[in-house]
This record gives sequence, C-alpha cells and structure tokens, in this order.
Amino acid sequence: MITQEKYRTTVKELLANGSIKMAIGYRPGSTSDRRRPLFIRTSEEADQLVLDSTCITNLSGYLVTEGLLSDEKRVGIFLRPEGIRSINILAAEYQLNVDQIIIFGFDFTGREVRALQGQTTGDFSALLSEIRENPPLATKEPLLERIEKMNAKERFDFWQQEFSRCIKCYACRQACPMCYCRRCIVDSNQPQWVNTSSHTLGNFEWNVVRAFHLSGRCVQCGNCDRACPVNIPLRLINQRMAKEVVDGFDHFAGLSPTQEPVLASFKKDDTETFIL
Amino acid sequence: MTRILFSDKLDNCVAKWRSAGLTVIGPVQGESLSSYATVERGTDLHLGLVLPDRSLKELFFPQTEPMLRYTIKKNEIETADFTAPSAPRIIFGARPCDASGLAIDDPLFGWDYKDEYWFQRRKESVIVTIACTKADDFCMCTSLKLAPDSTKGADVLLRPLDKNRGWLVEELTERGREAFVIISEYLQEGSETALPTVEVPEKFNLDACVTWLQNPENFDSKFWKEISMRCIGCASCTYLCPTCHCFDIQDEGDTYSGIRRKNWDSCSFALFTMHTSGHNPRSTQSARWRQRIMHKFNYFPGKFSVNSCSGCGRCSRQCPVDMGITETLQEISKL
Ligand code: SF4
Ligand code: SF4
Ligand code: SF4
Ligand code: SF4
Ligand code: SF4
Repeated sequence: MITQEKYRTTVKELLANGSIKMAIGYRPGSTSDRRRPLFIRTSEEADQLVLDSTCITNLSGYLVTEGLLSDEKRVGIFLRPEGIRSINILAAEYQLNVDQIIIFGFDFTGREVRALQGQTTGDFSALLSEIRENPPLATKEPLLERIEKMNAKERFDFWQQEFSRCIKCYACRQACPMCYCRRCIVDSNQPQWVNTSSHTLGNFEWNVVRAFHLSGRCVQCGNCDRACPVNIPLRLINQRMAKEVVDGFDHFAGLSPTQEPVLASFKKDDTETFIL
Repeated sequence: MTRILFSDKLDNCVAKWRSAGLTVIGPVQGESLSSYATVERGTDLHLGLVLPDRSLKELFFPQTEPMLRYTIKKNEIETADFTAPSAPRIIFGARPCDASGLAIDDPLFGWDYKDEYWFQRRKESVIVTIACTKADDFCMCTSLKLAPDSTKGADVLLRPLDKNRGWLVEELTERGREAFVIISEYLQEGSETALPTVEVPEKFNLDACVTWLQNPENFDSKFWKEISMRCIGCASCTYLCPTCHCFDIQDEGDTYSGIRRKNWDSCSFALFTMHTSGHNPRSTQSARWRQRIMHKFNYFPGKFSVNSCSGCGRCSRQCPVDMGITETLQEISKL
C-alpha cells in the first residue's frame, strides 16, 4: 500500500514537471486476482495505479509499440527485475534508447511489495548481478525435474504431446517482450518458411523456432506461459535454453544495455566455421 | 410427468450409443486443459465444469483441415478432394452457449457457398446440452439475450436434478428424439422438479451498444484507441470463441505437390488484412479490435439477423491483458 501510494505521487510529479509523457503500470482487472496494463497520462489516471503481488505481467513489451518512443520523450514503466533485464536486452539489440526510460522498480516477497531503488537501468546493475549469481533457474520446478530425468525419446514424446494442443494463436509471441520482430518468421510467406497449419509438424516447427529465437534472450518473466490459452509450460523450454547459453557461452542476458547479444554477434577470430 | 435420465444410467447410455455406432463426445478435464473430447464411459465426462476451456466449434471447424491433394504434372494438374470424415456422433453435456454458437454460424457457413465440412458434421451430430446451474464471473449469455437454458442449436436439453442425481429430458428436434430412442430403456417417467438455472447478471445494455455501433460517426471515435491500447494482438480471443469463424486457405508442400488446407485465421493479426503491396487497411490494433466488435454486433447481424456472440465469456476469461467483449460493451454502454 505504502509503495503504491509513493509511486502514485512520484508518477504525478514526473508527469507534472514534464519529465515523462506517460507511465505504464497496472490497474484493477475484472476479478481480484487480475491486473490490467494501465497507461498513465494524467493525474486522474495515476490514481488508478495498483501495485501488489498480483502485478506479475512484464510490461516492457509495450515500450517498443510503434511510434511510442520516436518523439524522444521519456516514458516511465513499472518493472520487476526480469522486466529491467528485458529493457537491457531491447537496448542492446537497438530497439530502444535506455535514456528515454524511467524505471519504477518493484518486487515482492510473498504478498509484500517493495520498491527497488533506482531509476535508470544502470542503477540496478548490482541487483542484476546478484540475480545472475542466484538465477531464477535455480528455483526448483517439479515438472522441469521430471523432464530432465527423461531420455531423448521420452522428452520428444512429452513435447510432442504438449505441442499437439497448440492452436497457433501466437499469444506467446505477442506477450513476449523479446518477440518484437515487425514481421515474424512465421508471418513471412514469400517464401513460407514455417507451415501456418496448426498440425503436429506445424506446431513443432513454430515452438522450436521460437525456442531458438529466444535462446540467450529470454528473461524468464513467464509472460508467454501465462498467455498460452492451452497451458503449454513454455517457460520450461526457454529456461532450459537459457541454462544452455549460460553453460556454453557464459552469457546471462540482460545485465546491461551494452551487453553484446550472444547469438547475434560474431568475432573475426571465432574458431567456428559455421554460423547458425 | 416428464422423462428423467438418472446419472447412474449414464454409463449404460454411453455404451448403448457407442454400440449403435455413435461416437460419444463431452466435456473432459485433461491434465492442464478442458475440452470436448471423445469418451468411452459416462464416468469419463466432467459435467461439473462451468464450461470447457476450448469451445465446441472446433469439432465442426477444426484448427486445420485438409481440403485437397494436388500434384502438378507436365501436362495436367491432378487433384483429389478430402471430404469431411463421416462419423455420426452425440455430444453430451455441451453448454447452451456453445450450442448457440453453432446455430449462429450456420447461416454464415451456408450463405453464398455451402461449406460441406461444416454441414457434414452438423448433420451427423446430435447436441445434448445441459442447462447451467453454475456460472463464473465471465459468463454473460443473458447479456446477449440468451440464457443458461437456451435451446438454440440443441437437439436435446437436459435440466439437472439436485444432488447430481440426473436430468429432466426435453427433446427438441427429431434428431434428438431418435438419439434418445436408442437409450429409452434407461429413461424413467417421473414428476421431479429440476434445479433452478443459475442467475447470470446482465453486464451491459446490448441494444444501446448496437445503436452506438451502427452510428457511422462512431467508427472513428477515439474510444477505439483508448479501449484497445493494451491489446497485444494475439488470437486467443478469436480462436477460443465458439462463433469466430475466419479461416485462411493455404497450400502446403513443394512446387509440384502438396495439400491445400483450411486453417483458422484471426482479425487480431496484423497479417490478416495485409495486402501484397504492403498496404494494410487495418494498420493499427485499435482498427483490428474495432473490426472484431463491429463484425460481431453490427455487420454480422446486418447480414444474418443474429449477433455473432453467444456470451460464453471465453474471450475475457483467457485474454492475457484482461480485455474482452464484456469490458468493451460495458464501456460502450456508458458512452
Ligand atoms: S520467452 Fe517467455 S519468459 Fe522468456 S522473455 Fe519471452 S515471454 Fe518472458
Ligand atoms: S500461446 Fe500457446 S497455443 Fe498460442 S501459439 Fe503459443 S504455444 Fe501455441
Ligand atoms: S455463458 Fe451462460 S450458457 Fe455459457 S456456461 Fe455461462 S451460464 Fe452457461
Ligand atoms: S483482446 Fe486480448 S486475447 Fe484478444 S487479441 Fe487482444 S490481447 Fe489477445
Ligand atoms: S465473443 Fe467472447 S463471449 Fe462472445 S461468443 Fe466469442 S468468446 Fe464467447
């Protein structure tokens, strides 16, 4: 409550003195455990702001909405640590300029919400390094453990079963802050790289393509997983890929806005002869 | 006196229908998702769900369906049609809003071209609905002038008795009667009273909304931008909707042979209206959301005299950003 009130005041001040043109936060949803993204442009809108432990959506994807940042004005946004990481990745991939972003950081332990100190991504580097040391990957997922114990065939069958439910609604992609491509590979039809049909092969192609495109970029915010209307445990795929990237390249994504993207950069003295 | 189907006879009925050659389908709660699925026993049905996560439409209009196989040869193109599989079936325990959805889409699929895939399945399916005695926060059939016991699209309506003991049987169509003749030995005459249906509060004034939508001035209202600002443009709402019916036709294969398929498509996608030139007449998400609302409550009723919404609430229930038809029409009611 106190954090929420403080932030309402801060947002109002920053809007009033012109430091930001908008703040992106949360407001009440249709039931008590649902929150809606809120775009605050006026003091009245700031009064609708809610900040509690149901504010779990990573809102950073809205920052790359076409035209939002093109006037070079600043936008404020409510983010948990994963959200701050995704801003860093977006900046590292030249999708936004971090100087235009004011971060209202928060996190929660249980139901207790607390503010994170800082306003620009740089202010959170110590916090992010800490997360790197104790990554969210360490949190034990019973399902992940079950999958890890499977052999390759069982794992394949497991995912085939899961993906068979996919309806290609692309909610996972639309909800993901890292899926900002103006034209996704599956929307490209000259040539048609990926089958549009939502049959076993098409679903597999889609989900595997997405897993590869998110490798070394996913921040485990869980937006995809929560958005999936058929409840495929998508986070587990991307969590596992993140672990591969940490193990293979010592790369933990989103530590700073200048961190080189691991799979989108190359060195002349690279020993590999093939680039994926 | 009415006819009663007692729950303890359901297993026998399912067996009887199956031995009469009918596939029995009904609501089933899977490990992480509920849907209408084929069952072998009455006890496999989950009749206590408010409604399944996935709608009934996909049993008539699947997410992907082959239409024809083609082979391009030197002097000719060979084609072979796929026809809808012939499979008589009974859908037991559909929700009234799902059954209404089918009836709403019938005129659409039979309009200038008669969609054989849809009608083959419609012809061969007996729909047995169960009146609702519970609802959740998102149910809104009553706002659409339907009801938890509406008979639209149903062949038989069952009204639950207390303590899950069974249902009063109301046969509505010849097809329904025939299906219940098969199990007549398990039906009993009785004079029980059914449980009252659930009260579903009206969430908006439909007539006022329709009037607002029909006013051409409101097409460019800034309301559209405001209400849809948070929409992320996925197809959850359209793909789970029992009445959304858009599809795309795609050829899959290589240059010389392949399969032509009919795949779900959605007006929420930017690609939906993209021209080859790159021009997109619905270039913003707000234009796309406006289309969804206009289509359901203005254009569709203009053509077929019925709203393209049965009030199941799935669009709001599943939306990742907590939008949906309900909120939009509630807000329009206030304008
Ligand atoms: S893949 Fe999923 S968990 Fe990872 S950043 Fe995207 S939405 Fe978040
Ligand atoms: S959100 Fe789920 S159902 Fe939709 S495309 Fe992604 S994996 Fe498939
Ligand atoms: S919307 Fe109405 S008919 Fe549909 S499940 Fe809810 S109460 Fe039943
Ligand atoms: S309203 Fe919700 S479910 Fe529908 S397209 Fe927008 S974000 Fe997706
Ligand atoms: S528009 Fe929404 S409430 Fe209406 S039938 Fe479709 S999913 Fe159900």
